[in-house]
Amino acid sequence: MQKTVLVVGAGPAGLAAAAGVAASGAQAVLVEKAAKLGGTPILSGYAKLVPSGEWARDAMGRMVKRVEDSKNVTIHKETKVTKLTGEAGNFTATLSNGKTVECASVILATGFTHFDSINKPEWGFGSFEDVVTTTQVEQMVAAGKVACPSDGRVPERVAILLCVGSRDRQIGREWCSKICCTVSTNLAMEIKELSPTTDVFIYYMDIRTFGLYEDRFYWKSQEEFKTKFVKARIAEVTRSPDGRLLVKGEDTLVKRPIVIPMDMVVHAVGMDPNEDNPEIARVFGIGLEKHGFIDRAEHYTNTCGTTRRGIYAVGAALAPETIDDSISQGTAAALRAVADLDALVQKSA
Amino acid sequence: MAIHEKTLIDADRIQTSDNLVLDGVDVSGHWNTMVLPRYLTDYDTDFARQIRTFSGGENVHRCWQCGSCTNSCTVYAQNTDFNPRYWIYLTNLGLKNDILKDKDIIWTCVSCNRCTNICPKDVKPEGVMKALAHWLEEEGHTPETRSSIFDNEFLGQVYETGRIEDTRVLINFLRKTNQSITPPWLIELGKRMTKHLPLGFLTHMGLHLVFKPRTKSWGRTGEVLREYVREQKEIARKARAMPKEAVHV
Repeated sequence: MQKTVLVVGAGPAGLAAAAGVAASGAQAVLVEKAAKLGGTPILSGYAKLVPSGEWARDAMGRMVKRVEDSKNVTIHKETKVTKLTGEAGNFTATLSNGKTVECASVILATGFTHFDSINKPEWGFGSFEDVVTTTQVEQMVAAGKVACPSDGRVPERVAILLCVGSRDRQIGREWCSKICCTVSTNLAMEIKELSPTTDVFIYYMDIRTFGLYEDRFYWKSQEEFKTKFVKARIAEVTRSPDGRLLVKGEDTLVKRPIVIPMDMVVHAVGMDPNEDNPEIARVFGIGLEKHGFIDRAEHYTNTCGTTRRGIYAVGAALAPETIDDSISQGTAAALRAVADLDALVQKSA
Repeated sequence: MAIHEKTLIDADRIQTSDNLVLDGVDVSGHWNTMVLPRYLTDYDTDFARQIRTFSGGENVHRCWQCGSCTNSCTVYAQNTDFNPRYWIYLTNLGLKNDILKDKDIIWTCVSCNRCTNICPKDVKPEGVMKALAHWLEEEGHTPETRSSIFDNEFLGQVYETGRIEDTRVLINFLRKTNQSITPPWLIELGKRMTKHLPLGFLTHMGLHLVFKPRTKSWGRTGEVLREYVREQKEIARKARAMPKEAVHV
């Protein structure tokens, strides 16, 4: 009988899951494919997190330290799970570093992959240096300077295009990535803080700053930081003879085509299923739902369950998810996994 | 040359010349009609800030285009070209030319304030209508309004004497607005008043009209007031002309 839970992925969800398992007195084995713990917020160099406003390195740093300091957590970095045999209560996982882990249950916190803007070539990413992604602007903000990559000038105008890689049947992304609206309104404020004279325009179809993000991000960005919201889905980004970018589209509120000069265009990239999901599905013997995220079990009584007993999934592995909710799900899955251990112990008694 | 869809095109975008040479090619005659493109090529990013400096326009940037203002509008019910939601959007993006197309109806707002009462973002659309009308007037896009002429006459008398004389305000206002100084309603008013033979009042009024008495101890108060108003207007004008908006302003 195992008293160990295997946690795969050391981002916000996985770190929360490992900490939860450890706090309950069980053993957690945390497997992370990267050389660093912290997941996407750290690996992609995010600046301040939504909604706390805390720097990613500080917030994630605390989560990492809590797990590293725990005697109940064993960490394997630069490691993948290559094979899983057995069944709920008695799995054996083989790791890419040659070790094996005996565990009763598995929590998959394998996260997502940022949409690659190259797949929407009409929006200029890869063709024009000054077309960047939200991830790149996060990195600029973290470094304390917003500048056009082409020549280092501070942009007079920035256009943020929402729904890049989301809500787009043309490229098979029929989901809303949930967090890009809030992240974009927040980035607009951060850009204005670094460069008060820069005008920021957000091109949107809808603004989906759900729950308390509404006034804390959308309203604040518009009312205090004068972010301009333009209802248009941009059709094309090109370059004008003077080297500036031109965004072309239809402003649906004035019912007129627009061709507006901008200095920098930012793609608010969506959340794709983790590019490793087919491999993950094969190794762990679980199903993927139609978009390619990990498929859920019935949620009401089998919270965080996958299509295979004893294997749980949390955070952006299941669908586009916020950092805060990923952490909550990680903690919830820890309870499920530990409860499984206890049930097995009781059953055998 | 027939352009069958001409009715769909704004008249000011259709250009016709009797003789037209393009790149050395004479296209007079059949090909003499050119249609200017309808796409928008730029925003005036400072325009919303300018409108915010006018009383009533302070919250224009808060708008999220729900359309509650237009939907509740008394004037829109009569004239669907009167669309506050649309003008607020044009203001925020600085699409001045499109606002100018409606310069002759923006002032028709009746200030019923239904829009301001219903607005979920507290934009105060009624105030924005006022701010836009004042901007149009200040920039000379619309003629000086009768209310401005009245205000100036009224204030002028206050500066001068520290008081107003109703008859003088009225007559000067009617003159300056090219109206008859004996409109029927005024004649009727006079007739009814004289019926009661208010001799004391009429004498009083007559003397005031002739001698323009000043309020007691008025002294230099009028000059000071006039200077103060001039200074405030100058400050407002300078604020409007400020080159670039900084955050939190």
